[in-house]
Formats: sequence, structure tokens, C-alpha cells
Amino acid sequence: MNRKEFLSDCGKMGVAGVALSLFPWLESCSEKAKQEVQGEKVRIGIIGTGSRGLFHIKHLVQMPNVEVVALCDNYRPHLEDAAQYYPKAKQYDDYRRLLENKDVKGVIIATPLYLHAPMTIAAMEAGKRVFCEKSMAFTMDEALEVYNRRKELNGVLFIGQQRLFDPKYIKAMQMIHEGAIGEVVGVRNYWYRNNDWRREVPSPELERHINWRLYSDYSRGLMTELACHQLQNGSWAMGQLPERVMGAGSLVHWKADGRDVYDTVSAIFTYPNGVNMTFESIISNKHFGMGEQILGTKGTIDLVTAMHYTDEPAPKGSGMHQLIEQIERGVMSNSVFAGTSWAAESSSLAPGKPIMQNVKVVSGESSVGAEADGSKELLEAFLHSVVTGKQPEKVLEESYYATQFALLADKAMHENQILYLDDKYKVPYVPMKMK
Amino acid sequence: MAAFRYSDKNPSHPISFFEFDAMHTRIEVLLTGLMQERGESLAQEVERRVRDMERRFNRFDMKSPLSVLNTRAVADSVEVDDELFMALELCEVFRVATRGYFSVAALSGAASAAWAQGAPYVLDGATHSVKYADEGVQLDMGGFAKGFALEQVLTLLRDSGAESALLNFGNSSVAAIGHHPYGEWWSVGVENQVRRGEMACEVHLCDSAMSVSGRAPSGEYHIVNPHTGAKVAQDEMILVEGRSPLVVEVLSTALYAAPRSERVEIVKQFDGYAAWEIVCSRSGSVERKRIE
Repeated sequence: MNRKEFLSDCGKMGVAGVALSLFPWLESCSEKAKQEVQGEKVRIGIIGTGSRGLFHIKHLVQMPNVEVVALCDNYRPHLEDAAQYYPKAKQYDDYRRLLENKDVKGVIIATPLYLHAPMTIAAMEAGKRVFCEKSMAFTMDEALEVYNRRKELNGVLFIGQQRLFDPKYIKAMQMIHEGAIGEVVGVRNYWYRNNDWRREVPSPELERHINWRLYSDYSRGLMTELACHQLQNGSWAMGQLPERVMGAGSLVHWKADGRDVYDTVSAIFTYPNGVNMTFESIISNKHFGMGEQILGTKGTIDLVTAMHYTDEPAPKGSGMHQLIEQIERGVMSNSVFAGTSWAAESSSLAPGKPIMQNVKVVSGESSVGAEADGSKELLEAFLHSVVTGKQPEKVLEESYYATQFALLADKAMHENQILYLDDKYKVPYVPMKMK
Repeated sequence: MAAFRYSDKNPSHPISFFEFDAMHTRIEVLLTGLMQERGESLAQEVERRVRDMERRFNRFDMKSPLSVLNTRAVADSVEVDDELFMALELCEVFRVATRGYFSVAALSGAASAAWAQGAPYVLDGATHSVKYADEGVQLDMGGFAKGFALEQVLTLLRDSGAESALLNFGNSSVAAIGHHPYGEWWSVGVENQVRRGEMACEVHLCDSAMSVSGRAPSGEYHIVNPHTGAKVAQDEMILVEGRSPLVVEVLSTALYAAPRSERVEIVKQFDGYAAWEIVCSRSGSVERKRIE
């Protein structure tokens, strides 16, 4: 099921209005919104055509209403890779020149983290509508600057937090808000891989240029590259922001290649109601893969597999109930129910139930991105906003806080302290669980 | 708290039905021909009785009489109440009658084999006291308590005047009082272990009980052979039918653990009980063989 089908299903059940009020970013998939942009050609420029940029391009080429008119990268091989998909696009090695191109209405920024904020601000100031990959910024001050500048310019800004647009996450959060797992009492996130996280480097002087994720001058490592995706789960589920964070990080295994970001991190985010959200990542063991679970008093929803597990015994549709109906109707027949011992289905024993059909589970192993992880839907929503100029409600705030808390946790690890988010970084937050 | 439902859609045979979770399983009771108020009151009594036994026989509850025994009866003779004493007497009878394939000392670790062959405890009828035979003995009444509780509940219901009832303790133990309002018995289908939802065989109960032992519905082997201390890896089911829900429960467990060569001799010890081996194949065929 894709996001349009989700909305269509909500329509059939007569709850599309509710779905739109809960998840306003679905607006771009509504019939009204589709009519709004019908016939419009969206002209896009891509800044950063490395692996992630190319991932977006592969989605864009499937969208007939999109024309990529400009490509930019200061690493020639990446630019050439992208140009194969859009040979007519103008090519740049300086993003500032691309931003001068009046044909470009929207830009997609998929560059190293330390460039996100300056490029995003420059693009918004140039009047472009902007989609920037996560995390939003390299520092907490920069993230705030980006957020405020967007507001001042009344611009359009999307951050690459694709889970917010993933139908299975939307459905899961809807169930959580409706009480399917009772009161939320815990949030678990983890992301394990077993690889060195390196990209091939043709020449030693390009090491930092290509493997920027491994150096703290350009990236905050696992917290900004992985955790940031998962940290919105707690606030989305509970409608509140963490109060404080503690954590520990170290370079345990991949320490011989000169990198200086952690390869092992654990962080605990505590919410005002006492609930903890954890994030753990190790990149020298991949057994448990990627996991995101919302734990409630009545059950658990696994966001990655889109499965719902109940802590309460599930009645097995006992034949005794059939027997009652038979006696009520004045007939006798056998009822199949005897067998070996029935056991209460608990989260550890029960196979769980899928929360929706046709779910494609993403392993989290790819460093680039995966099909059916919400990236395509996020891109579609952005393209819609490029035409309409409308900034969807609440999404940017979720992205902003995911970045701030990823950075705050990284700071807590480096300073070995329990940290609270400074008031100066607090921007208005409207929980997504409430209109 | 038991969930109670009353239906008088069929005014000739009003139904009282209640269910609750206890003893790690679900307990369902269907009674016909009672007024709602009587049905509700019986539901409360039954639940209270079952929970009381659950507490008594729970070895994980440090305050339970069984836990007290497990802690103290290694060193000293421990006086116990009539009910626990009677239960331990019965367990010893069953151990002997089943050639040790039913043993409440089966979870005593490496020593369990010894307590399948010889009494794990000594009972003193004069003082109603119990002393364990060795420091390795630990009793677990899990294989006994459900049947014992079902037996007690049947008695309670009969004494209360119930004339038509079907009791289901976790699908593996079913007991009937009287017969179905529209038949000469209660007809119960045993589910095919391989093809879930299909019936492997049908059992007719009238003032009788049945028990099924085998792999758990999850596929797990969970019954321990007291002679080895290991879980029994048999794919067949054992079905036992007879008067007492306690005996059918004990006997089906013991027969499942016992090798085929010993099953006939074990069944012979129990007058009025019939037992079958049931093998379900993936093709849908069901082989049902009487143990005699």
C-alpha cells in the first residue's frame, strides 16, 4: 500500500478528514491537491549527486511531472553519473551558480552534513523551495538559524525524514494515538550494521571529501546519519519532546583507519512523563539489524516490520462460542476446539499481526536508502509544495527536533553529561497526535 | 474477574457462559438451564476456587504452601493442610501407576530420573507431614493442578445442581456434566495438529472428561520425560477419555512421555479409561490408534 492508497482507504472508511487533520502532510495526496498541481511541470535542481542524490534521481525519473534542469557536484564522477539520467540538465560545480538559475524552482540538497545549513539558507534566500537531506544542520545553532530563516522568508523547507511520509509509520502512529497499545511506556530504536561505512576512494586526497561521514569536521557520525531518522518516533507517538538525554559513545572496532566519529553509541532520551526512548547503534555487528518499537501497556508496535503484538491474551475464537450459537439456534453439532494446551499469546510467543497489507520491510543495511521507506512519498510531497508554495504543518518541527536531539545526544556523549535542551533552541512544537 | 455472558435467545435452554485466565491458560464454562443470577453466582464461586488452587500450587509464589515445602521439606518434615496432603498422595499413586512417566519431581534437574523410579517424598499420614527424600527434590504441580482444579470445579457445579455443562480448561482438558440440550452427549472436535482448524477426531462426552497431550500449538515440545529430565520430542498426540478429568490429564501426559512399548501396560492400570495415539500428516490423513 502506498500513501495514496492509505488515504483512499481512509476515504472509504469515511475518515479521510480525520487522517488529514492528524497528518496534514498527506494533503499533497488528496484529490484536491492533485488537481491543484495538474499539468504543472516541476523544475528541479539537484545539489550533491553522490549516492543519496542519485537515489532521489532514480525516483524523479519515474515522475512525469518533474524535470531536473540543473545538477551540481564538485566531484566530477558523481556529476557524470547523474547526467546520464538527465543529459539536458545544466551542470555546475558551484551550488551558488545553480541557485542563480531562474529555471530552477526547487532544489534537492544531498551533500555532506556540514554543508546543509549554508546551502539551505542560500537556496531559500535565492527564492528556491528546498528539500535538504537530514540532519537539518551540523550544529544546534545552525539548525535554529535554518528554522528561523525559513520562517522569516516564508519559504518551503523539507528535511529528509522520510518516515514521516511512510504509510506504515503513519498507520502505526494512528493506531498508537487511538490506543491500540495502551499508554506508551517505552520507545526502542536500534540500528546495527557490520561494515566499515566507507566509500571507495580513488585517490588519497579525496578521502575526507568522499568519506565525510567518518570525520567530525563534517559529520556527527551515527547520531546525525542514523539516529536522526529514528528520534522522531517518540515524539510522534507521544506528542511530546524529550526533556533530557544521556549517552555514551566510543570507537570500539573501526579505529585503525583514522576516522574520529564513534562506531558504537547508546543514548537514552527521557520524556517529561518519565518514559525513556533509547537509541543504540553498533556498526561491527549486524545480527539485530534495524529496529524501532513503541511499547505500550497493552502491546507493542514494531514500526520497521509494521507488526502489532499484544500483551493481552488473544481469545482463540474458541469452539465454545460456536457451541453457544448452536444451542441458541436449537441445534447440535460438534465444535472443534480441543487440542494440546492453549497458552496465552504474549509478545514473546505470539506471531503478531500485520498492521497493513503489502508492507515491504526495510533492513536498514543500505547506506544510501531503500525502496518503500517513504523517500518517494516525501519527494512527491516536496514536489507538490514546490508548485503550491505551501509549507506543510508540523513536519519541519519534527525534523528540527530530531536534529537537535541527535546533536544534543552527541554532545552528551562527548561531555559525559546528562543534558537538557537549552531554551534558546526551543521552537513552537505542536504534537502531531493532535490537531 | 471472569467475563460472564447470559443468553436466553433459546428460552428452553438459557445459557450461562463465563471465561477467565488462570493457571497459565484460559478457562471456559458453559452451563445450560440456569437462571442468570444463579449462573453469575456460580461463575464467581468457580473463579474463586480456581484462583485459590492456583495460589496453593504455584511454586513461583514464595508464600504458597508448595513453595514452603520446596524450601523446608528437604531438611524437616513439614505439616501441610488436608488438600495438599491429598494431592501429594494422589501424585504418588499416579507416579507408581504410570511407571514414573508422571512425576511432580520431573523438574528436579539431574536428579529427576531417580524420583521417577522412587518416591521423591515421604508422607506421614498420622501427622499430615511431608519430607523430601533428597536435597535435589523440587516439586512442580503444573501437570497436576489443572486436572485437579477441573475435578474440584466439576464437584462444585454438580453439588450446586448443574445438570448440563461443558468445561474447557485451555482446550487440552475438557469435562462434561450431563449432555447437550439437543443430543445424548457433548460433541467435541479435536483439532488437527498439522492442519489447524480441521478436525482430527471427534469425542462424545457425557458425565466424562477428555485430555489431549502433545506439542504445544506453537510447535514447541514442552512435556518432560521424568526418567530422563529431557523434553519429549514426539509429534503424535495422545487422547485419553474417562470419568475423571484429573486422571485423563495425568494419564495423557504420562502416555505421551512413555515409550510406545510401555503405554499399553500403563493404560491397563486405569479402569474405565480409553487412550489413543493420533498422528496427523501434512497430506490431511489422520491415523487414530487405540492403545490397548
